[in-house]
Amino acid sequence: MSGSSAGFDRHITIFSPEGRLYQVEYAFKAVKTSGQTSIAVRGEDSCVVITQKKVPDKLFDASSITHLFTITERIGCIATGMIADARVLVQRARYEAAEFKYKYAYEMPVSYLAKRMADTAQVYTQHAYMRPLGVDLIFIGIDDEVGPQLYKVDPAGSCIGYKACCSGVKDQEATNFLEKKYKSNPKFSVDETIQLAISALQTVLSVDFKPNEIEVGVVTKATPRFTVLSVEEVDRHLTLLAERD
Amino acid sequence: MGENYSFSLTTFSPSGKLVQIEYALARVASGGTSLAVKAKDGVVLCTEKKLPSLMDVSSVEKISLVTSNIGFVYSGMGPDSRVLLRKGRKKAQKYYRTYHDPIPTAQLVKELASVMQEFTQSGGVRPFGCSLLIAGYEESGPQLYQVDPSGSYFAWKATAIGKNQNNAKTFLEKRYNDDIEIDDAINTAILTLKEGFEGEMNENNIDIGIINADRKFRVLTPTEIKDYLAELQ
Repeated sequence: MSGSSAGFDRHITIFSPEGRLYQVEYAFKAVKTSGQTSIAVRGEDSCVVITQKKVPDKLFDASSITHLFTITERIGCIATGMIADARVLVQRARYEAAEFKYKYAYEMPVSYLAKRMADTAQVYTQHAYMRPLGVDLIFIGIDDEVGPQLYKVDPAGSCIGYKACCSGVKDQEATNFLEKKYKSNPKFSVDETIQLAISALQTVLSVDFKPNEIEVGVVTKATPRFTVLSVEEVDRHLTLLAERD
Repeated sequence: MGENYSFSLTTFSPSGKLVQIEYALARVASGGTSLAVKAKDGVVLCTEKKLPSLMDVSSVEKISLVTSNIGFVYSGMGPDSRVLLRKGRKKAQKYYRTYHDPIPTAQLVKELASVMQEFTQSGGVRPFGCSLLIAGYEESGPQLYQVDPSGSYFAWKATAIGKNQNNAKTFLEKRYNDDIEIDDAINTAILTLKEGFEGEMNENNIDIGIINADRKFRVLTPTEIKDYLAELQ
């Protein structure tokens, strides 16, 4: 059964002799080329997403650089990887959510939106005419029935719910850090969840952030609207975190 | 399908093989083990579901319902199986709309097999990287089929797919008899899965689905799985 490939298995999504899809694997690597690391954590009644806000040039208008996107009022997402590809998926997600609301007259659940986006990503892994997109999307929202939800969608088309997940360059270190924190099945409050996310990012990047160097997106049961924390709120959490340590 | 590709990506090698299909089967053989046992009064589907600790186990469903009386489990690529699940559900509804009768398992299997074959021949697409085990119950009794990436399908009494398929099938051959009853079949399935299982098996890292004479396919809850595992201790 061992054969040699015709050489195209690295260029389009067909199987290699070992049954791998190289293009999909390369898409995973592309997620890391941006040098970004993102972390998302789920608490007892909230979900938080966080990433670094790197403004490469002082002349950039910092407010236009963001990796956090609002999909609907109540669903937010963080994109890690190639930002242009991310915008395509975000547009698609917004469209799907709006169409769902129009057709069925209630808000699209986070789990279903994530599944639809994952199915879209899967199409690119099976059809040669489009390459997989080099983006990981992490969706957060508060579900009416089940509470806070956190889903990650990757270039392979997997869609999985998490208690906490990470994406990007330092994803493995961040995962290890979070696994330890979640081992005892803790119940994190809103503030604890936010501070856990910040401290995880600070630890794996070995940096103490200033308030304008990170972007934090939050949904809580009390405020299910997806909100990006203001600089003052981030500052408050950074101070609380520093005092705690 | 394949907007700009008018040629197939799956082509014959000089020795007459369709290597893309073989590679797809290699992908299936590297996936988590799934197995199924047909009893005289039902069918049980069983699969290992090993996930990292931060993943929310309840969000991952390896065993799914196609209709209320047909279920399936996959080994291999999850995203590909979702495509087949969606197509299967739609075809089942279409059948119902035409005939006002639930689709027979064999018909559904043929439809899914036909879809999988299409993707080995159409332009600009690759074969599916998953095999399916489909279980149903009809007038004629319990049904169990396997569908492969090539589009071939087989009816089985008991079988396994995925990483540990060879050992599991040998194990099943020894323990299977035509008069096996559903509860016995469930225990056999769990024991077979346990044979090749790395680490400790518990209610969170396996999934079990059953259908019996009431013709309602259902996935067992973790609590029910725990009871079965406790019985076997």
